[in-house]
Amino acid sequence: MATAPQDVPPPLKDIPTAKEKKYDRQLRLWGASGQVALEETHILLVNSGPGVTGVETLKNLVLPGVGHFTILDSAVVSEADLGVNFFLEDASLGKFRAAETVRLLMELNPGVEGHAITEPLETFITQDNVFAPYSLILAAAPIDPTILAQIQSQARTLQIPTFYFHCVGYFSCFSVLLPPAFPIVDTHPDPTATTDLRLLAPWPALMQFTKEKTGGLEEGKLNAQDKAHIPWVCLLLHYLEQWKEQHDGKLPASYAEKTEFRKLVRSGDPHEENWDEACAAVLKSLNPPTPSSSVREILEAPEARDINTTTPAFWLIANAVQHFYTEHKQLPLPGAVPDMKAQSADYIKLQNIYKSKAREDAAEVLAHVRKLEQSIDRSPDLAVEDKEVENFCKGAAHIHLVRGRPFQIAQAGEAIMFGDRAKAMAMELTMPESLIGLYIAFLAWDTFVATHSSPAHEAGGQALKVPGSGEDWEADTEKVTGIAHTVVDNLIKEAGTLIEDPEYAELKQKVSEFVQELVRAGGGELHNIASLTGGLVAQEVIKAVTRQYVPVDNWCGFDGVGSRTGVLRL
Amino acid sequence: MQRRDRGIAQSLGLPLTKRVKESRVLLVGAGGIGCEVLKNLVCSGFGSLPQYYGGEIASEISDMRRPEIVVVDMDTIDLSNLNRQFLFRKQHIKKYKALVAKETASQFNPSVNIDAQSGNIFDDKYDVAFFEGFDLVFNALDNLAARRHVNKMCLAADVPLIESGTTGFNGQVQAIKKGVTECYDCNPKPAQKSFPICTIRSTPSQPIHCIVWAKSYLFPELFGTSEEDSADVTVTEVDNVEEVAKLRIEAEALKTIRGLMGKSEFAQAVFDKVFRDDIERLRGMEEMWLSRRKPEVLCFEQFAPSMDKSEDVVERGRALAMKDQAIWSLAENLAVFSSAVDALSNRTLASPGTPLEFDKDDKDTLDFVASAANLRSHVFGIPLNSEWEIKQMAGNIIPAIATSNALTASLSVLEAFKIMRGASFEQKGVSKLTISHVAPTHNYMVTNGKEGFMLGGSKMVFLNSRSTERMITTQNLVPPQPDCAVCSPVYAKLRIPSNSSATLQDLVTLLQEKLGYEDFSIQADVGIIYDPDLEDNLEKGMIPAGYIKAGNGFLTVVDEGDEGRVDLVLSTSFTPNTTEADPESGLQLMPEEISLPSKHKSVAESNGQAMTTTEATGDASKVAAHFNAKRKRDAEEEVVGAKKRAKADEEVMVVEDDGAILLDD
Repeated sequence: MATAPQDVPPPLKDIPTAKEKKYDRQLRLWGASGQVALEETHILLVNSGPGVTGVETLKNLVLPGVGHFTILDSAVVSEADLGVNFFLEDASLGKFRAAETVRLLMELNPGVEGHAITEPLETFITQDNVFAPYSLILAAAPIDPTILAQIQSQARTLQIPTFYFHCVGYFSCFSVLLPPAFPIVDTHPDPTATTDLRLLAPWPALMQFTKEKTGGLEEGKLNAQDKAHIPWVCLLLHYLEQWKEQHDGKLPASYAEKTEFRKLVRSGDPHEENWDEACAAVLKSLNPPTPSSSVREILEAPEARDINTTTPAFWLIANAVQHFYTEHKQLPLPGAVPDMKAQSADYIKLQNIYKSKAREDAAEVLAHVRKLEQSIDRSPDLAVEDKEVENFCKGAAHIHLVRGRPFQIAQAGEAIMFGDRAKAMAMELTMPESLIGLYIAFLAWDTFVATHSSPAHEAGGQALKVPGSGEDWEADTEKVTGIAHTVVDNLIKEAGTLIEDPEYAELKQKVSEFVQELVRAGGGELHNIASLTGGLVAQEVIKAVTRQYVPVDNWCGFDGVGSRTGVLRL
Repeated sequence: MQRRDRGIAQSLGLPLTKRVKESRVLLVGAGGIGCEVLKNLVCSGFGSLPQYYGGEIASEISDMRRPEIVVVDMDTIDLSNLNRQFLFRKQHIKKYKALVAKETASQFNPSVNIDAQSGNIFDDKYDVAFFEGFDLVFNALDNLAARRHVNKMCLAADVPLIESGTTGFNGQVQAIKKGVTECYDCNPKPAQKSFPICTIRSTPSQPIHCIVWAKSYLFPELFGTSEEDSADVTVTEVDNVEEVAKLRIEAEALKTIRGLMGKSEFAQAVFDKVFRDDIERLRGMEEMWLSRRKPEVLCFEQFAPSMDKSEDVVERGRALAMKDQAIWSLAENLAVFSSAVDALSNRTLASPGTPLEFDKDDKDTLDFVASAANLRSHVFGIPLNSEWEIKQMAGNIIPAIATSNALTASLSVLEAFKIMRGASFEQKGVSKLTISHVAPTHNYMVTNGKEGFMLGGSKMVFLNSRSTERMITTQNLVPPQPDCAVCSPVYAKLRIPSNSSATLQDLVTLLQEKLGYEDFSIQADVGIIYDPDLEDNLEKGMIPAGYIKAGNGFLTVVDEGDEGRVDLVLSTSFTPNTTEADPESGLQLMPEEISLPSKHKSVAESNGQAMTTTEATGDASKVAAHFNAKRKRDAEEEVVGAKKRAKADEEVMVVEDDGAILLDD
């Protein structure tokens, strides 16, 4: 029986400035658009064990103001829960764990709505379209593998990002399922990597400005003040013209040529600060405006080529940008100008020259987007927003595409297959820094759960047996180690490769050690590791829902003994 | 063992679980990281012993050693804290963080011992003896000064410190132990950015210059206590001496305008003074504008056509000030300026004698600074900014999010487990690990033939959660920098009865007789009080001259002789009455034996004895396997009675200068 959303007083209506003030420190990272996306999100936490990693994740999402969250958990609060879950109190004993946790989490932020569902997971999941209301799913281990498979299959159909996570003793990990095409425009690249000044392909307005600023320089007619304030961008453009005259119209391309070019610039003045800036910028600024191969791959992706009435805006714009690129052999100009020594008025002029070129480029892309919309008869309701085109053009050189992949689910009696990732993962086995040993240990841990738990319909979903939780700890360790070693051997076989001793013995030993640690904890969480994992997962959830920054693709493990994370693509 | 903590015991093993419960820890700061650390400590059972043993041993332990979590924070709660400091709610705004944190955290486990103190960690009562009462100190601070202070206090008290910090998506955790690792000050920290006074007052060229002018000059001159030198602005070598003198006169003139406060012409008078008269004077300095654009004079009257009654301007400004993400026009800035001056004047007149201070979260002061900075930017042809952007620059705002705090705090507590586990290794007599057990990623130390992990395998941990590949990474802890002025000295104590008439001569004699000093100098908080050529102070009383104060006083003894022994830092404290130690002066050095290696020798020793592995490859799981063997099923054992607490500073692995490792019996 699903309980209705909690009967709680309506959230306090914060006046906009108060809300802005409360979220001030995070708005400075992900901006208003990220905040809106977060507030439009409804997270579902599927929690069947005593662990608190999921609750800690929710805490980190309720605080910054996620719109809604729902906890699906049919368990009743026990004494053991009180010792581990910060969001329960003594009075919670004997009540539904989901309802009590929701109530206490909601105290953190009156602007967030929480709901509890106390229906058993195995009947909940049999309903039609049961995940449709949610924009993101969190599933906590241990969980019945057949149910996990159902969740994953529905999430894939509905394209709902889904996280599956473990936390055992000093170790934890999470897997991420993202839609098969998950593009990100706002990747927040390193600011130093984004400057694109097009010095090798200047346009008339920029050249005109350069001539104004450098006119008389060679003849020595400039006064000292004007000379000392020529923006370095203009200096480089000026000397590039000289270089071309001396080199049959060719630009400096090789490292040697650029070094030679720098000498030419330096010959203009040995001391002035703007000359120093110009010389320092030679190597990083004189690059042809060619997009990276990964960006070209996105622009040429089938989704961008074959557009139809329901194609997401991203791909329509990608199509238009690809068109722009074919035509101009360069991406739209981002338009930002770094700080430099210059007269304030000149600097503002220079900024405006870049800004207006960027606007022109974006306008051209937008015009093409509108043409496409017409040609496919797209509904005006679905019209791409101008702002979106502008953002895409600004960040075009740094767009990113994640090709989401399903995570592996250990099922009783089924061999684990790595498919097209087998070769890469077999390589990982031989890398000393890789946490693939931990991945395999957790996979074996799941396999143990799958083979030692009664089917949910028989046991009421309560009989998940995790390794190390019973009396015979050594026997469990042996079993899980055996499973893990089989996974290793099968992986090597599947990859069609061979790993010889002593490497082979070492990697098996490494896997055994991870297994031992996991089993010894007996399924118990360390609070700070759960809290840490909740921090990692929440951060990735924020990346996924705001579509900002590049999310983990698609497994991340944490080794608390070494205090470090490792990422694998499976 | 209660069911509540079975899970913890299974993961940590029984000895460590017991140790965690017996521990007495200090948490400095109850803000973003502090709230999270407190939750982790409470949920892991730190300082919760007496309850588990029916309170029997509580009476045997003095208050200073009681298993407990002590939280110290002087701040009150602000609305902008609520997006991450999860122990606080809206109804707690303006209350003390430490007290509310305790109240909320206690609800989770009412039996946990938390002592919340709304005090400043610089206060005298937080002296070396206070710090010595802890097994471990957590720093969860937001400023350099307090971090450095706690670092020094922990070195003096010889207590391990876990230092942490976050900025946006980044975080860092570092364990610090005297004589074992680098201290917080082993690496120089970037100083706070300061601007030459002439850049701020006469020749600004960036928005920040105008913001600093509005915040650190104009605002305090009008509404606060005028301060000649704020930390943001200093007279530097590049400053023109004549100009600096003129600027002083200019500031004086502004003070007379203060007298108009409350009158309707006040805003106009201020405006015309700083944007018209002062600028006209600047324009007259021709040599200043040879290579710069001349500033533009603004006059209040020139905006007169757009406003009839001054009442309206104030109203209009108030409405405009709500749009803090827009870039206001010149006239709009003037309106906001007028309304802010009006509001601040009313506040000043309402409580005369209470100077106002700029606070980024005090809207009136922010409105004033933002509008004044923008007006000045216009004058100097510098781009204007929105109030929201100005707030970040003026308030030194560091972006902060819940996830980074959760991650960093969790890592702090993880490192705490390692340090405590390192200590329990020693306790259990298993310090002699064979080399095959050593994972090369861990700092492995060989000190005088004794082997062990540096602080139980603790690491310097870095968080970068915006990264896609390397979110949490580590570096090995590094041994102390031999020339670090803060951690290379030997720390000892000097005790003095509060009624003592001891003179500096008495101290000099004591140092000569007990420690064999010949040529040496003594430095107190007030500066150098004694050296071979400075004998003027010898007859002064230590207490009346202020050389020894109650609380956090330090005296540094520097050996100037050829042998050059390492510096000796004496933390000073009062004892109630004269003691037998030295009946004449009552001065007493603690401990009795202080060994002062020579500077040169100490470097050689640390190189030869503390050998750390630096290999970057290998795996961490071997360590796990080793612990595993030791802790196997410990959790199943029952606790048989409570062992009386041993002094923690004897249990912690201490690498002394003489090479002795102190073990628990």
